[in-house]
Amino acid sequence: MTSAVIVIPQDPLGFNGLVADTGYEAMVGELVMLAVSEIDPDGNVYPELAVEIPTIENGGVVMDEDAWTMDVTWKLRDDVYWADGEQVTADDLIFTWEAITDPEMGIWVDGVDYTDSLEKVDDFTFIVHYNTVYTSYQTQFGGENFNVYPEHYCDPSQGFTAWDCNRQPLSDGPFILDEWVTGNYLTFSRNENYFEDGKPYIDQIIVRIVPEQSVRKTMMAEGDADMNMWLSEAEAQELSELGNVYVSNAPSERWVFRLIPNLVERGTTDPAGPVHPVLGDVQVRKAIRASVDSDTIINSVFLGYPKPVWTEFFRPPYICDIPRPEYNPEAAKAMLEDAGWSDTDSDGVRECHGCSTAEEGTLMEIELMTYGEYGEELELAHQLVGEMLGDIGFKINLSVIEGSVLWADYESGGLEQTGDFDLNLYDDGYPGIDPTDNQLWYYYYSAAAEPDYGWNVGRWSNADFDALLDEAYTLDEEYRKDLFCQMAEIMDAELPQILLWSAIAADAFSTQLEGGQSTTNDLPTWNVADWKITQ
Amino acid sequence: MGRLVWRRFRRHPGALVGSVVLLIIIVSCLLAFLSPYDPLKSDITNRLQPPSLEHPFGTDALGRDLLTRVLYGGRISLLVGFMVVVITLLIGVPVGAIAGYYGGWVDDMLMRLIDSALALPSLMVLILLSAILREIDVPFLQRNNVFTIAFVIGILSWMTIARLVRAIFLTLREMEYATAARALGASNYRIIASEILPNGFGPIIVESTLEIGWAIMEESGLSFLGFGIQPPTPSWGNLLNDAVEHLVKHPWLAIFPGIFIFLTIISVNYIGDGLRDALDPYKILRQIDEI
Amino acid sequence: MLNYIIRRLLQAIPMLFLLSVLLFALVNVVPGGPLAGYGRTRRINPEKIEQLKRQFGLDKPLPVQYLVWLAGNDWMRIDADGDGVAESYGERRGILRGDFGFSFRSRKPVMEEIGDRFKNTVYLMSITLLVVALIAIPIGVISAIKQYSWFDITATTLSFMGQAIPEFWLGLILVLIFYTWLDNPVTGESLLPAGGMYTLGVDFSLLDRVRHLILPVTMGMVGWVAWYSRFLRSSMLEVIHQDYVRTARAKGQIERKVMLNHALKNALIPLVTLFALDFPYIFTGSIYVELIFSWPGMGRLFYDAAVHRDYPLLMGILVISAAFIIICNLLADLAYAYLDPRVRYD
Repeated sequence: MTSAVIVIPQDPLGFNGLVADTGYEAMVGELVMLAVSEIDPDGNVYPELAVEIPTIENGGVVMDEDAWTMDVTWKLRDDVYWADGEQVTADDLIFTWEAITDPEMGIWVDGVDYTDSLEKVDDFTFIVHYNTVYTSYQTQFGGENFNVYPEHYCDPSQGFTAWDCNRQPLSDGPFILDEWVTGNYLTFSRNENYFEDGKPYIDQIIVRIVPEQSVRKTMMAEGDADMNMWLSEAEAQELSELGNVYVSNAPSERWVFRLIPNLVERGTTDPAGPVHPVLGDVQVRKAIRASVDSDTIINSVFLGYPKPVWTEFFRPPYICDIPRPEYNPEAAKAMLEDAGWSDTDSDGVRECHGCSTAEEGTLMEIELMTYGEYGEELELAHQLVGEMLGDIGFKINLSVIEGSVLWADYESGGLEQTGDFDLNLYDDGYPGIDPTDNQLWYYYYSAAAEPDYGWNVGRWSNADFDALLDEAYTLDEEYRKDLFCQMAEIMDAELPQILLWSAIAADAFSTQLEGGQSTTNDLPTWNVADWKITQ
Repeated sequence: MGRLVWRRFRRHPGALVGSVVLLIIIVSCLLAFLSPYDPLKSDITNRLQPPSLEHPFGTDALGRDLLTRVLYGGRISLLVGFMVVVITLLIGVPVGAIAGYYGGWVDDMLMRLIDSALALPSLMVLILLSAILREIDVPFLQRNNVFTIAFVIGILSWMTIARLVRAIFLTLREMEYATAARALGASNYRIIASEILPNGFGPIIVESTLEIGWAIMEESGLSFLGFGIQPPTPSWGNLLNDAVEHLVKHPWLAIFPGIFIFLTIISVNYIGDGLRDALDPYKILRQIDEI
Repeated sequence: MLNYIIRRLLQAIPMLFLLSVLLFALVNVVPGGPLAGYGRTRRINPEKIEQLKRQFGLDKPLPVQYLVWLAGNDWMRIDADGDGVAESYGERRGILRGDFGFSFRSRKPVMEEIGDRFKNTVYLMSITLLVVALIAIPIGVISAIKQYSWFDITATTLSFMGQAIPEFWLGLILVLIFYTWLDNPVTGESLLPAGGMYTLGVDFSLLDRVRHLILPVTMGMVGWVAWYSRFLRSSMLEVIHQDYVRTARAKGQIERKVMLNHALKNALIPLVTLFALDFPYIFTGSIYVELIFSWPGMGRLFYDAAVHRDYPLLMGILVISAAFIIICNLLADLAYAYLDPRVRYD
């Protein structure tokens, strides 16, 4: 009997990645449940429960050009069965969607605002009626967190967020949950009725809970574990030196470390409010960008794993040709002098003398924040960035804040939502392949500056950008790409965020496990049905 | 009597050694500015170097000299220790005095307060309090301030002092009403007033001294968990936190800060023990008897 | 005596109640919220926030939230679907009826979360306290009997050292020595494991359990042994110098029996009360030990809950811990009153 052992540091909080999203829920979810469509590591959407991905070309998508709405018809496979013998049908999908969008006991997901209704045509066909053009329709019922739940098994009265099948799932995927001992392990065995012939190739998957990083590494070294996911840079380096382990790097990156400046006065949430005395001037932001030596940080603290990133459009399918900004601290100092910030009292900190955003004599002092949960690498990078800014004349106060404080909602006093910050450094990125909603709207659109509506916490407002983004809600890919690159230029000129470098995306597999492939578009178990164990 | 106390203290070998060690540590930390290295400035090319002539304690993950950081960290940790004692005295003495002096329902209420404060699971509440005070902008209690940490630790440590002070004032009250005091005659009464009462302060002095060590331990622990002093400002506790990541390959990062905490606390404890012996009322009374 | 017990119990209840109010206020003043960055994609939307708040009961004013936490809301009408009309009854029964609510993060009942971890902490801490007693009592007694001997001086010095070592540093050093540096001469692997309660995947083995217990128990017990042995020593010394011991000696019993019968029993009394005051640690555990040795216990549960602002879980742990402490204090006082015939509070 062949088996593969996966080690993770903590229990998943269930099998439902939409309710609790540590990533481990999605990871085990991939083992037992299927979605309508998925994304491969290269960014291509492929069908799982669907027969094919509906597009305009194949007639699956019908647009109403005048009303600017669309209807998408999905055809599901008819050869997929639940482990108890029932067939997977469109009823299951519609049931899942209704449970998710239940105002009382559901949750909020992408696409819910754009979707009017789901209409069942027959057991394996359904139509989604949209009230606008939704560019991410292909992954609306898929991607890393979305799974289709069985209508005949899950109890809707318990609610999507709390029903038993989050912890005792009924499987239609490659594996079936056998046993779950909290804090210890989960075991899965091969689903004999899995719809892909011959797959999965492995008989058993064991997921072990091993909180200690060093123990996980030892297990990989000893051959007691076959997959260790989400490696830190240090882990990746150590594990790649082992002869019986290979480290798989994702072909593209998702998480990008960036500086997020508050463009308005601290505490204001109105983009038209008083401008931030230090960061409100784009020259100052450009100087900041020129003074951060990403290469040094990448090669020292991050052990060379990340790549420098300077625009949101750096990964396929949308790559825009923006020239890489230069690292030039001298030029940065000159920019600051020009902008009216000079250090007349030679204390190392510049003051405003003729600057356009603050009163005469104001100190160039800001608080640089980051969050603690990422780990030591980010904290060190945080300190380094603070030093680099200090070298060109800033007075930097460093703070490490918990994520639950930084990103809480407005009423809870979330620092970003209430605008109570100056300059934040952390990693962010969008899931899937479509940045329109998930990244561009949420972080840059002017309406997203309203508290709790989005994450445009810098309160940036640019009418040209807004107009371009409005246009981008179209299915014409060529046109979209062109719009994106125009947006890229605006973002490069105004610097509402200063992107720096990408984060590592790598997982370790034992050499006896064939087929392991890291991806930023899903969890490393995305292709678990294809894995082989070679003794 | 002060001279008596000092003589007894000097005869306690541990206390003497402890005093010397503590003095050395305090002076070294104060003289930290003599170091050629900046505790906050990174030197990336020299990261994680083992101890050498140039860097007697090695360097940390950003290339900073560890010896310098340990000494500067000592300033912070020692300062927190002393501030905690001041705060516990500021809170504990009035509470204990009022409880002991007025007695009755005032005493009852304050004792309930002390009991309730003692019933709090201390480390848990410490974590929550420091999480609160770090974010809220209250006058005097700014983010990442030494005073904030000292305040948080102090709020949970004043109870013992309060009890000791209360005991003194209870004795005071009893003496006021005890007819025995008058029956003893004026001279003995004076001895009691001038010898026994001050000896009630003995435990308070001892307790305060020991609290310095205890406070340094708490601050280190809090900083180790990430809830105390935050980097890049070094404190012994957060230096240990930095060291965990590199424990296997670069153990010196953990060894040296810990040694300093250990030496400081053990010195303080020996000093406290010496003071306890020197101020022991039984022994002093016996010596008075012998006179 | 019975009067005393009843009086203390009656006093304990309002204290616990007041503590729960204080802790509730504390937990809710901590900035940040459970709704923060819900998940890695950090979707946010006012309706979603409202919905989550309703689900978690966070949309009510604090005093009402406290009331619900205490007494439940199944006797109140609540507005479940956000249309402004309170139409259905709640489902919470409140802690007075044993319902501690649901953890925000895992949506599991708080009692279940605590229950999962509770036994692990009790397992570790009771063994630790047992070891402490087995080591500290003999050391304390012998040190007192043979005062100023080489044994006493060594023990005293060691106990000073033990009280000065930061617990978390000790843990790191232990891991360094026994996991990184020392290897098992037979297997070539590390001498002792760096964490966890047992080796995964193998059947129950006493040796394996012991190997996993050695380092965390050592880390936890050093400070305690140092403290208890010194305490017992001074307590014994005090008793030895008492008159009645001299009287017992004068009666002609053999010296050793004198020591053990009278002195030890009376010297143990303060130790028992001290022990009772430390007993709550069996429940609350040591956050440091559990973090360093990856022990899935109450300490780590609290730490994770604090970082993620998981209010129901925080309140559950805090209140149960406080209740434990109050009860143990009460038992300590009772034990003291019972064991020491000279002391009888009125």
